[in-house]
Amino acid sequence: MARIGVFVCHCGENIGRTVDCAKVAELCGQVPGVVHSVDYKYMCSDPGQQMVKAAIAEKGLTGVVVAACSPHMHEKTFRRATAGGGLNPFLCEMANVREHCSWIHEDRDAATVKAVDITKTIVEKVKRNVPLSTIRIPVTRRALVIGGGIAGIQAALDIADGGREVILVEKDPSIGGHMSQLSETFPTLDCSQCILTPRMVEVYQHPRIKLYSYSEVESVEGYIGNFKVKIRRKARSIDEDKCNGCGACTKTCPNKKIPSEFDCGLGKRTAIYVPFPQAVPNLPTIDRAKCLLFMNRAKGRPDTCKKCAEACSKEAIDFDQVDRFVTEDVGAIVVATGYQLYTIGKDQAKPNIKGYGEYGYGTIPDVIDGLQFERLASASGPTSGKIQRPSDGKEPKRIVFLQCIGSRDPQKGMDYCSKICCMYVAKHTMLYHHKVHDGQATVFYMDIRAAGKGYDEFSRRAIEEEGARYIRGRVSKMWRDGDVIKIQGFDTLAGEPIEMDADMVVLATAMRPQPGIDSLAQKLSVSYDQHGFINEAHPKLRPVETNTAGVYVAGACQAPRDIPDAVAMASATASKVLGLFANEMLEREPTVARVDESSCAGCFHCERVCAYGAVEHKEIKDRAGNVLRVIAYVNPGVCQGCGTCQATCPSKSVELAGFTDEQIWSEIQALGV
Amino acid sequence: MTELRELARRLLSEGTVNAVLGWEEGPRGARPAFVTTPDGADRLIFDPRCVHDLASYLSPRRPHLKKLGKVAVVLKPCDARAVAGLIRETQIPRENVVLVGVRCGGVLADPESTAPLSETTVADRCRGCPDREAKLADHVVGTAGAGFPGPSRRAQKIEELAAMPVDRRWDFWQAELSKCVRCHACRQVCPLCFCERCMADKSLPRWIESSPHARGNIAWHITRAMHLAGRCVDCGECERVCPEGIPLGLITRKIAQVVSDRYDFRPSDDPAVPAPVGTYRMDDPQEFIL
Repeated sequence: MARIGVFVCHCGENIGRTVDCAKVAELCGQVPGVVHSVDYKYMCSDPGQQMVKAAIAEKGLTGVVVAACSPHMHEKTFRRATAGGGLNPFLCEMANVREHCSWIHEDRDAATVKAVDITKTIVEKVKRNVPLSTIRIPVTRRALVIGGGIAGIQAALDIADGGREVILVEKDPSIGGHMSQLSETFPTLDCSQCILTPRMVEVYQHPRIKLYSYSEVESVEGYIGNFKVKIRRKARSIDEDKCNGCGACTKTCPNKKIPSEFDCGLGKRTAIYVPFPQAVPNLPTIDRAKCLLFMNRAKGRPDTCKKCAEACSKEAIDFDQVDRFVTEDVGAIVVATGYQLYTIGKDQAKPNIKGYGEYGYGTIPDVIDGLQFERLASASGPTSGKIQRPSDGKEPKRIVFLQCIGSRDPQKGMDYCSKICCMYVAKHTMLYHHKVHDGQATVFYMDIRAAGKGYDEFSRRAIEEEGARYIRGRVSKMWRDGDVIKIQGFDTLAGEPIEMDADMVVLATAMRPQPGIDSLAQKLSVSYDQHGFINEAHPKLRPVETNTAGVYVAGACQAPRDIPDAVAMASATASKVLGLFANEMLEREPTVARVDESSCAGCFHCERVCAYGAVEHKEIKDRAGNVLRVIAYVNPGVCQGCGTCQATCPSKSVELAGFTDEQIWSEIQALGV
Repeated sequence: MTELRELARRLLSEGTVNAVLGWEEGPRGARPAFVTTPDGADRLIFDPRCVHDLASYLSPRRPHLKKLGKVAVVLKPCDARAVAGLIRETQIPRENVVLVGVRCGGVLADPESTAPLSETTVADRCRGCPDREAKLADHVVGTAGAGFPGPSRRAQKIEELAAMPVDRRWDFWQAELSKCVRCHACRQVCPLCFCERCMADKSLPRWIESSPHARGNIAWHITRAMHLAGRCVDCGECERVCPEGIPLGLITRKIAQVVSDRYDFRPSDDPAVPAPVGTYRMDDPQEFIL
């Protein structure tokens, strides 16, 4: 016979204001099977918890119902108290009379009746609760980091320094990401490469980091602590073991006019190339779409140019290399795939993103974006740090910066703030001022968002000390007139239209997640928002976890981030990963699905709907070993307890521990409907 | 007919299969037949009276057939869709069964009728059916008529019901479903109702009242319709065997229409075509997610 204890919490006035807690305790005390029913001001306080523990011992309770807040808040507290009282913790349940009752109602009498109903349903459920024990699964204590930008580098280094092995996968030929393209960084104006490249080298030399550059994640199987990751090592056409990075091949390549991705199209590279001098690893890669030999092969013609192979003293060039696949076992995954910049062109990859017709859809040559300006300002850039116009190489004397291009513009499909633009535009005006002393920088802005240590001081400095002219307003039209760019806009502070000529325009375009983020997110079973940014598990309390256990997120693939943010997030993921790896075994909630083997028909609808790949095929054999039936089996280590299989099973052969059909049914029955 | 019998005889005498499932002449029209000897092949017939979906016999929950080992089964195009469903849902391995397709230009509404197949005697579900032969079959025999043009009367009735005000539609279905005696013949004959234990028979808890009462009846038929969403192959057997003449096809067809309109899915006789349950597409309608 059940002996249930009911504990009604006032939550100060949170519940007590709207619900007559004493009456709830009194009425619930009359429910058959309830042997103890009390109310108390703060059940979660230490005396409140002591009441639970004491009642278990004194009244010999077989189940505990705490009528208080959401289980998200204090279920753990009371399950621990229940365990402390000597009962299995899973015999304790929360009846949510706060979020589901007192907070949303005003009529005290009606709310009290509802609170009694809610508590009664949970009493009926707890009568059917069975003791459960936590599931323990082994952990592979190696981590995968996807993306070799500053976030991925930081996460990899922190995890490796913490004593665990790291696999770092980078899709481009070199790690470094966008940070390696920047000239200087705000708010200190220190050289980006000078602070980044030591980290890149550290990654390469670290004994516990295995770097797969020019590689991509092909597929991910498994679950927290036990992922199996297949990695595609794209054919570089170079034998990495033989190449000594001398660079002779890149010098002889005849195809020298390919727009360099690293220089954002402002510089040129060869078909066999190292993206930039400090690249890690320092290995050339053949761009097969641009290499004469491969272009000939694609047309079925014989190989003609082999200049790079002839120049190579190590015989490291391998024209016949194919993509290779490696499989790595890891226990945790950090996603740090970073961002790309929005372009204002007419053709957009996503239908909800629109270009800027009013700025000529990006057809004016001296209108560039922020990253291109970084390359112009960078000493290692195509102009060796001289600010020159892409069209004719002249030094622009009138430069105009436009903020919020795409960002905060629902009509263009991006209603979010890209966060970094206010700061880097201020930085750009300073860099320009330092290089072109007689030039005038003008900035069109909506408002200046400079929240961060030293950020506001930095943007004030641009305006007050470095001569930047800030105009609050938007540019409505832009066109080319000879070698001048005509600008038409509106100064909203002066309240008048404004027209001006510019020699060069720099657009602070919106940050967008990398293309292909959606397919990667689907491989990892993590959710993403309408813009494609990876969703964190909780915006405040779990900012670097995702909704898939064991998968973490760092940097600009989660939302627009600046370098300090990305680095802080990366270190946070490392701390999460190292915490996960602290134990050999991992404890999991036992609320997992279980298949009734006698009634499962083996249709495997459950397998199709399972988002976590938890459903396996199990053979039922007779004594002679003949397979009688093939049925579904839920791997408790993988199951997240979402209940989708339970809802889908046509014969109701799947039960979720702690939420069985019988428990749910009795909850409904308790309402007397 | 000769072609069918010769094929069955060859399959049995060569030992390819231990039994051929087809139709034979019975005292009340055509009836399903199990032929286990080469001589018995002469019993087999196929004509418009052969309405039964023999795929129902392939369910692994029918042990008498399992004992026969490998069998061949004669299929109309609609029946082949049911076999594809069984393969798709891992109920039968494709290699364990030989599929003999018969070309079909429609069947009679009443299998006991001796009337020739015509615009008036054809089964309503055959009106507008585009399939003349099963693509899934290993062998295809016979010749087929031209079929009958749609729309079916049933499609017209569905439109009529959809146009009704909700309370009148509710009255219609209450009246129809209150006739149900819960014999579960619709379930037993359905080729895709293959569960080891039907959820309607589950007693802890009993989700669906088992007595023939309006509440349980409606719960049962709604549940059955939902379980067949995207799976029903329109073999028409449930409606044919219902002793109370409930127009079950209206329910299954309406659901099929919704699945087709919203998820662009129609049951196919290709087992590799995924079923809508458990298939996620990036462009699935999801406006119901708040």
